[in-house]
Amino acid sequence: MSEQQPVRPSGPPREGRSGPPGPGGGPGGPRRGKRQYFRKKKVCRFCVEKVDFIDYKKVEMLQPFVQERGKILPRRMTGTCSKHQRWLGVAVKRARNIALLPFATEL
Amino acid sequence: MAERLYDLIFICMPTTPEEEVAKIVHTLEQTASEHGGKVEKVEKWGTRKMAYRVAKQREGLYVYIALQSTEGGLIKELERRLKVSDAVIKYMTVRLDEEIKRQQKLVSHREHRARRRPRKPVVAAAAPPPSAPAAPAPEQPAAS
Repeated sequence: MSEQQPVRPSGPPREGRSGPPGPGGGPGGPRRGKRQYFRKKKVCRFCVEKVDFIDYKKVEMLQPFVQERGKILPRRMTGTCSKHQRWLGVAVKRARNIALLPFATEL
Repeated sequence: MAERLYDLIFICMPTTPEEEVAKIVHTLEQTASEHGGKVEKVEKWGTRKMAYRVAKQREGLYVYIALQSTEGGLIKELERRLKVSDAVIKYMTVRLDEEIKRQQKLVSHREHRARRRPRKPVVAAAAPPPSAPAAPAPEQPAAS
């Protein structure tokens, strides 16, 4: 499955700019279209499918959560919930140890 | 005594002949049964491209063994044998029984909660929301 969202260069959210204070104000409230915190409501894929065990042996399940360089994608990119992100990290690291996933690749 | 579940994966050189691999597996099975363990499943994944070079090789022969044991010292013994063997270039053991237990607890909790709230009887796989990618729901006409 290749539903890779385009990786936006998301740096730290600019707090110094003018605008309504704080990110509160409901999820996905685009203020001026300048720097939105949540583009759309993302759901945790694992919660939806009710996956109980993220198997490190299934590389195709882990692949969407890993960059081409081999780095694990952060939660805000993939929309995973914290519990599954932790399990995902464990599974990816195990897969890396057994050479199913790379540690780092040269671009 | 709790039964511990382990996953043992080892990689051999891709040029290893079949009987060599079978001999290694047989040795592991023997060692396991000597120490009070039991081999549940042996899967040979065959030659696979590895994500990085190990022992200057790009491909390796993967073998996966699931085993059960009551003794923790068995793993040390198995790994010792693998380390000594020349054909095996990488191995990894994962202990899985705690995770399986937690997984089962989650499943039982979910079923318990679902039973408390009377749900509408669902026909096929339990009402996946439309964003579920791999659920084979035949009544959903929207194919990806």
